[in-house]
Amino acid sequence: MIISLNWLADYVQIQAPAEALVERLLMAGLNHEATETVGADTAVEIEVTSNRPDCLGHIGVAREVALLFSRPLHVPDPRPLEGPGRAAESVAVEIRSPDVCPFYSARVIRGVRIGPSPQWLVDRLATVGVESVNNVVDVTNYVMLECGQPLHAFDLAKLRGGRIVVRRAVDGEPFTAINHKTYALTGQMCVIADAERPVALAGVMGGADTEISAGTADVLLESAQFAPLAVRAAARGLVLQSASSYRFERMPDPAAVEWASRRAAALILETAGGTLEHGVATAGTLAGAQATVPLRPGRVAEVLGIDVPAARQHAILAGLGFVDTSRGDPALEPGHWRAPTWRRDVSREIDLVEEITRIEGYDRVPEDRSISARPVELSAREVAIRTASSVLVGVGFCEAMTRSVVSETLEASASPWGGAAPLVVQPALVRGADRLRRTLLPSLVEARAGNLAVGAPHGELFEVARAYVARGGAGGTDDSPMEEPLLAAFVTGGGFFAAKGVVEAVLDRLGVRRGGGAIACRPLDLDLFTRGRAAEFVLTHGSRPPQRVAVIGDMAPAVLAAAGIAATVTGAEIRLDRLEFAVNADRTLRRPSDYPAVERDVNLVVAETVPWADIAAAIHAAAGPVLEQCRIVQVWQDAERLGAGKKSVVVTLRLRSDAGTLSGDEANRVVQTVVEACSRAVGATLRA
Amino acid sequence: MSTVALDSFVAELDRLKADAVGTLATALDADAVERARVEFLGAKSGRLKAIQKMLGGLAGPDKPAGGKHFNEAKEAVATALEAALARVAGAAEAVEAIDVTLPGEPVRLGHLHPITQTIRRVQEIMGRLGFESVDGPEIEDQWHNFDALAIGPEHPARDPLDNFYLAVARGADPLLLRSQTSTVQIRVMERRKPPLRIVSLGRVYRPDTADATHYPMFHQVEGLFVEPGTTMAHLKSVLRLFASSFLGGDVHVRFRPSFFPFTEPSVEVDMEWGGRWIEMGGAGMVDPAVLAAVGYDPDEVSGFAFGLGVERIAARRYGVADIRDFYRNDVRFLEQF
Repeated sequence: MIISLNWLADYVQIQAPAEALVERLLMAGLNHEATETVGADTAVEIEVTSNRPDCLGHIGVAREVALLFSRPLHVPDPRPLEGPGRAAESVAVEIRSPDVCPFYSARVIRGVRIGPSPQWLVDRLATVGVESVNNVVDVTNYVMLECGQPLHAFDLAKLRGGRIVVRRAVDGEPFTAINHKTYALTGQMCVIADAERPVALAGVMGGADTEISAGTADVLLESAQFAPLAVRAAARGLVLQSASSYRFERMPDPAAVEWASRRAAALILETAGGTLEHGVATAGTLAGAQATVPLRPGRVAEVLGIDVPAARQHAILAGLGFVDTSRGDPALEPGHWRAPTWRRDVSREIDLVEEITRIEGYDRVPEDRSISARPVELSAREVAIRTASSVLVGVGFCEAMTRSVVSETLEASASPWGGAAPLVVQPALVRGADRLRRTLLPSLVEARAGNLAVGAPHGELFEVARAYVARGGAGGTDDSPMEEPLLAAFVTGGGFFAAKGVVEAVLDRLGVRRGGGAIACRPLDLDLFTRGRAAEFVLTHGSRPPQRVAVIGDMAPAVLAAAGIAATVTGAEIRLDRLEFAVNADRTLRRPSDYPAVERDVNLVVAETVPWADIAAAIHAAAGPVLEQCRIVQVWQDAERLGAGKKSVVVTLRLRSDAGTLSGDEANRVVQTVVEACSRAVGATLRA
Repeated sequence: MSTVALDSFVAELDRLKADAVGTLATALDADAVERARVEFLGAKSGRLKAIQKMLGGLAGPDKPAGGKHFNEAKEAVATALEAALARVAGAAEAVEAIDVTLPGEPVRLGHLHPITQTIRRVQEIMGRLGFESVDGPEIEDQWHNFDALAIGPEHPARDPLDNFYLAVARGADPLLLRSQTSTVQIRVMERRKPPLRIVSLGRVYRPDTADATHYPMFHQVEGLFVEPGTTMAHLKSVLRLFASSFLGGDVHVRFRPSFFPFTEPSVEVDMEWGGRWIEMGGAGMVDPAVLAAVGYDPDEVSGFAFGLGVERIAARRYGVADIRDFYRNDVRFLEQF
């Protein structure tokens, strides 16, 4: 809203300079945007919150200024001279959609001379950035900017059948607005029609056919009420926002409907001549009851933490137009304040408290109150996020933030976390991206590709974010309407096993084993990854059924091709919400042994299809607690020396006891047990 | 028996000391040091040995003074010898010198996103003030995103064009990506009774066209404090503590009236930064309707809430002119944090 200071002075006169005015308004809730000198006038642009339609007119702002500077407020009382004829006989008004138009009024002015506006009017409109059109149109704009009630003037001669019908549009009905663009209306929109066709889109814009032109002699002046949501939907639907729709969306003062009509009629008579017919043609009932709001003594102090004297509270509310209807002693009993018609945002006690505070000034609220101390802990989830992030940062990954909503291309692969199809949002987040992602990996691959394309030092990226899957069989971990797996995902060019090492480090640092969880790594077949080069980590914890907690794999060629990457990229995704249990596990020291370790190499020959996990499991089970470490030294195949379909796996076992130094014999017995166990479990033979 | 005058003895000692220190200091290698050692400290014919013999010729009363001078000289020469030995040993090692100006082997460290760093800083400060960080779903229902926050069915904030609604609804209840993290506050209040101090944080979504200051996905940090007897003075005091800690120094905050559906009174919060008032976010007393919606009695407890736009704070803190840079994921950008 732009305010002309010359115009404002019609209603309230203050001595203070513009800067002081602006500052005081700012601190009372009318935020300052800009000040500009326009000719001999000053334009002050203020931001008006959506609850204050009264300040979308100069009078509303003047009322605030008058109170803030303790000056009298002068509001004109227009009494235009009425001539022969009766508006109600010249035009028949009918409302067929009272839900979107509770009240409609029309005045009729005959014999006007359309021409340029007087200079004062041109100047004032120019200050607030409105171009002068002609004397009648300018008056309607002027009065809207004065009191916040939009008006519209029709060329009465062009209204067919002498009728105004407020109705819903017919689907597809064409309408040419005064901007000379034609719109196809929908059945939801409300129009002002004459006997035959729409002549205005209610509350939004008038029509080109009936606009005031040089040849207009008789004017129908509309002042009406329209439902905010209907006006908003129409303006947004057609992308046709106007000063009028802006105000109707916020519901102007109901009392201004009649005031604006009289005021505009008087100014039209003054600037364009003509005669005003008697009375006003109306339909419907003016909407807008006035609330009477109680205010308990002491309530202001309870909210603010400081007192505002009762007399001052009274003066503020009265200055804002509230009427005290209470009978008792205001110091002891609640006051009862009737809200003015232009303040329908005030209906509760807390609203009155806010009004008093706003005018009294928040500067009075102290900033030195102490609060009690309270210990707080990070949640398990927060600890899990921080732990995973710190490992990933430690090994050289940069944290990315990619969009939660992605294109169909990025959502083409099946998710490791379920959900047969992605959830779709409307509208798209950015062009073409309307799918809630079920995995972060394609987004990270895309971000990696972006880095490669610009020659960034690397594209080693991770992200901690949620994925989204429709609730299916698996329950979520919190009370969300849909399941939202919390994921730590990363992409790397370092290869599968480097990536696997990182996943293992994260699981280890989270304390999965310490927390009593057992992790198994198994092959995974998922079209997100290259076939045969992907794995899942499955957690067994307590009595719960085993759960997938991480996946890892070389990204599928299709995923890489979509991102335009030629080289191999390995991706991994860790389900933090399923690992939160581990972070609170107690740490109990296991004292390092004081005795030396013994190492033994074992060369096992097994079928080449035997996975390492099976060999390792057999070794660990057989060796027992003295096995400190089991390390692969070498894996090799040689059909001649080992036989076809065989492989040699050389491992080093490091053995150490807490109870004493292991003798060579003791170590050899452990090795013997291990070899026997491997023979039973995976058909291993010992190669000398 | 000839006697030696103390003066000439001391003079002889000083000359020897000066010679020895000078020679040792300028010895170039181990051989030269060894030659000097033999010359001055040699057990058989070293010059010090010779002077030691003169000590016996001093008159009886002069002997203690002479002895003291002699020991001092001997120590000085020994120190000089040690220094010379150390120096030439070092010179030998320096033969295999390295170009210390060559670069170190690079260690690639990762970086946390500046948005994460900003959120953590806020969490940390609020944690010290007793606020616990909480988290909640990003897909929300009408109750938590609107109704419980006093955003009624007619409110324009519910407009389908201003929200990301899901194509599938849960029964008759449309779901949407949350447009604010206040949803989490509602969920916590529904589960827990006051006193309550929480900060909810995370991603929120609003269909804004992306430009230098807008992005349809962004982050919010919102604080909530509910205890009996809470006033706006507590709100201002807590925000002042936050601002002082976040910005450093004794920072003042300023409230300007504003309008939000879920707080009343509602204010914009400015903090003094570099001699100017900078807009930091919105705040207010929790609207009694919100307290009632979660089953609290507005006459028994009161509370305040505040919200900060993380991108805005981070952009200002790091001098990022275009917030879209936060989402480009360019390593050259990320590595600067």
